[in-house]
Parts: sequence; structure tokens; C-alpha cells
Amino acid sequence: MKHIKTLNTKSLQNTVKKGGCGECQTSCQSACKTSCTVGNQSCEHK
Amino acid sequence: MIHLYKSNGFNMVLDVNSGSVHVVDDCVYDVLSCMNEGKNAEETAEALSSKYAEQDITEAREEIQELADNGMLFTKDIYENAIDQFSNRPTVVKALCLHIAHDCNLACRYCFAEEGEYHGRRALMSLEVGKKALDFLIANSGSRRNLEVDFFGGEPLMNWDVVKQLVAYGREQEKLHNKNFRFTLTTNGVLLNDEVMEFCNKEMGNVVLSIDGRKEVHDHMRPFRKGAGSYDLIVPKFQKFAELRHQDKYYVRGTFTHYNTDFAADVLHLADLGFKQISVEPVVAPPTEDYAIREEDLPVIFEQYDILAREMIKREKEGRGFNFFHFMIDLTGGPCVYKRLSGCGSGTEYLAVTPWGDFYPCHQFVGQEDFCLGNVYEGVKKTETVNEFKKCNVYSKKECSQCFARFYCSGGCAANSYNFTGKINDVYEIGCKMQQKRIECALMIKAALAED
Repeated sequence: MKHIKTLNTKSLQNTVKKGGCGECQTSCQSACKTSCTVGNQSCEHK
Repeated sequence: MIHLYKSNGFNMVLDVNSGSVHVVDDCVYDVLSCMNEGKNAEETAEALSSKYAEQDITEAREEIQELADNGMLFTKDIYENAIDQFSNRPTVVKALCLHIAHDCNLACRYCFAEEGEYHGRRALMSLEVGKKALDFLIANSGSRRNLEVDFFGGEPLMNWDVVKQLVAYGREQEKLHNKNFRFTLTTNGVLLNDEVMEFCNKEMGNVVLSIDGRKEVHDHMRPFRKGAGSYDLIVPKFQKFAELRHQDKYYVRGTFTHYNTDFAADVLHLADLGFKQISVEPVVAPPTEDYAIREEDLPVIFEQYDILAREMIKREKEGRGFNFFHFMIDLTGGPCVYKRLSGCGSGTEYLAVTPWGDFYPCHQFVGQEDFCLGNVYEGVKKTETVNEFKKCNVYSKKECSQCFARFYCSGGCAANSYNFTGKINDVYEIGCKMQQKRIECALMIKAALAED
């Protein structure tokens, strides 16, 4: 593309079917004890 | 829904529902702005005719259409029904914050725990209560294998023997029940020594080391009870600890307040001390506190996030980068949409345990009797409160459903909401604005680093 550069290709919509296993880290447990931040967590269910 | 913004010379486009991030030229940016305003092709062409050649506008529209056809622009929100089902699932407990000591050797001015006492009495958790808590976690964790236990306080090193014995007990029990305990420790560093470091490096998946940044900032907010600062005592120990952990699986964590809205200098100070994993975040405080972040602080805070983002890009390119927790976004992996919408799990998957064994929805609520949910002996009793926490998700808040940041903050912090609105399921606007700014910076950093 000439006018647009896309930084990622993974769509959140793809996680609807296989997501929700719940094994991931609790978001407020470490590093931030006072802010709910989940965007930077990793998925345990690769 | 798309979110358009300009940052550090980049034209950024976030397609909210797919999570796709695009960097676009001025022409596409302006075309998208017109589309967002509801202009049709003709109106867009007319509005931009003096600025761009017709061919450029046509090309821009074609590229936009191609991305839309591929589910990367203007994607629909298909999650609302899914999250309803997800929210109604039987919940299990997977993480505990153990208040191993309601006592502290510092007297931090902003402490929500009121120098460790949490509006209550000084107390240390007994081994018996701790064991009961771990038993409760195992028994209520269903099929979840990874169980998290944070040793928190007050200052947990004031009850270090119990921490060690609980880790040993957890290691013994995890084998019997096919679980995997992930222990973490949050400490102010005052009692940190070689023995503690060695034990933590063997047993703790993460350690959180509390330090606010520059000496004068740190010492002002984190003094000993008699008033002396704690910076000089803890810094060399934290530096040693971070090195022993190979600059990984730890965070130096600070709090900024109304008194140091120039916190970028604190983050950079921590980086200059050699730390590679840094988290500095805004204080959680009722608006009545003098150190609370106010609406009028926001322009300065936003500018600070911009300064920090630019400096991080520079340092990364020079090969001396560091991680700032709130700018970390994984665009290629990251959590599933359920996790992103359902939030921290406070009051459901995540509970705090007081030294005498009472359960609270999270550490921020400890000491507020109305929120006591039960105890380690009888389990969770106050199911109506648990159900209220269970309902906390992005779709239960009108503001979130219109916010571009909803898949990154998951609806925000219930304690923050309660502090400011008296309800757990509302929004804390100042926090929202800071979160939005952080996400904008984080995405821009990705764009800047993808340039070369």
C-alpha cells in the first residue's frame, strides 16, 4: 500500500472462538498494583 | 469504530474492534476524518479538493476499502453477546493477594493502607491463616492450573519467616493437586538482604520493588516514621537485586502524585540507575487528598507521557532501551478479547486476604468492612457483592462502549471508581484520560520503532 502502513495483522476477533481459558496472569497482581491494564499481558494459550 | 490521532509526527489509526493499528499519510488521515464525520465519497472529495490531487483521494479511498474488506478497518463490535456468556460462567479463584503483614517500617504519605494498618490494627499473618488461604485457593480454582499468590503488605518482609514457610507449603501442595503456584513479592526494600534475594530468585516469579524515582521525590513521599528518607538505603539493594535477576522478572514500581506531575524525570532517573523494568503510575486517592491527581494536572501529565515516549524511542534506537509497564502493548499476541473485556477479576477471580484471614475484593478495598466477603475458614459468604463485581466489564459501562481504549484497560479499576463515585461499576474520568493517553503513546512508539 502506498498511503497506509499496517503495524499488525492479528485480529482480536480471532480470539473470540478460542479465547477465555483464564490461565493468564491477573492483571493487577504485579507491576501495577493500582491500575487495570490488560493490553500488555501475554496469552498463556498459544 | 476507529480512533484517529496525531502523535510525534505520526498519523495514527486504531481500528478499535479488530485491534489493527495503521500509520497513514495526511491524505488518508483526512479522508478517514471525513468518513468519521459521516461524509460520503462526494462530500469528502469536495472537502479535500483544495488540499490533495483527486487521484490521491481516490487511491486513499481504495486502500481504506481494502482494509475494511479484510477486517482491519471499521470492523464491528461482535463481542457483546460473547461477553455475556463469558460473564455468566461459573467463576473460580485464581489469584490471592496475601496481606502477610499489616505493619510497615515506612510511613508513605499516600499509603492507601495507612502505614500498613488498613484502617485496622497492626497484625502479622500467622502460618495457619496463610495455609488456610492457600488451601482455599487450591480448592476453589477448578481446572485452572496456574495460581498466583502475591505476598503483599504493609511490608511483607516484616513477616518473612511466614512467607518462606508458605512458599514451602505451596510447593508441597501444588504437586498433590496438579497446580502451579506463581509467587510474587512486593517490598519497600528496607529489610531486603542477600538471603531474601537468594530465596526470591529461586521461588518468586516476579518481585515488585517500590521506589518513586528521584531522591527528593522518593524521600518526600516515602519517609521512615521519624521522617528520614529511605532512598539511600534501598537503591543499592534494588540495583543488586535487579542484576541478580538478570534485569528480568521484576519491576521497580513508583507512584506519582500531584506533587510530582513531572514524573517523566522520575522514570528516566530509574532508567539511569540501570533499571530495565519500570512501572510508575498515578496515585489512587480520593479527591479530598492534597496529593490526588486533579483534572488541571492532566495537560502536564499528558506532556510528560509524550516526553517519556520520545525519550524511550531515542534510547531504544541507541541500544539502551528499557520497559515502561504502561507503554507495553503486544500487537501480535496479547490476551484474548474475553480477558480484555472482563478486567482484573477483583472480587471474583482475585481476592485479598487480611492477616486474620478475611477476604476482600482486592487490596484497595481491605479495611472497608462493607466489602468483607468472607474468610479463609468459611469461604466466600457475601455472594451478592461478588455478583456485583462479576458484572464489572466494559459493556456494563456506557462510557466504555464508546471509548477506543476499552480493549486495553478493560473498564478500569473498581477501587478507583468507588473512590471517586461511590460505585464500583462507574468510571473514574481522570484515570480514563490518562489511560487513553498512555495507549496513544504506546501505539506511537510501535510506529516509531517500526520505521527503520
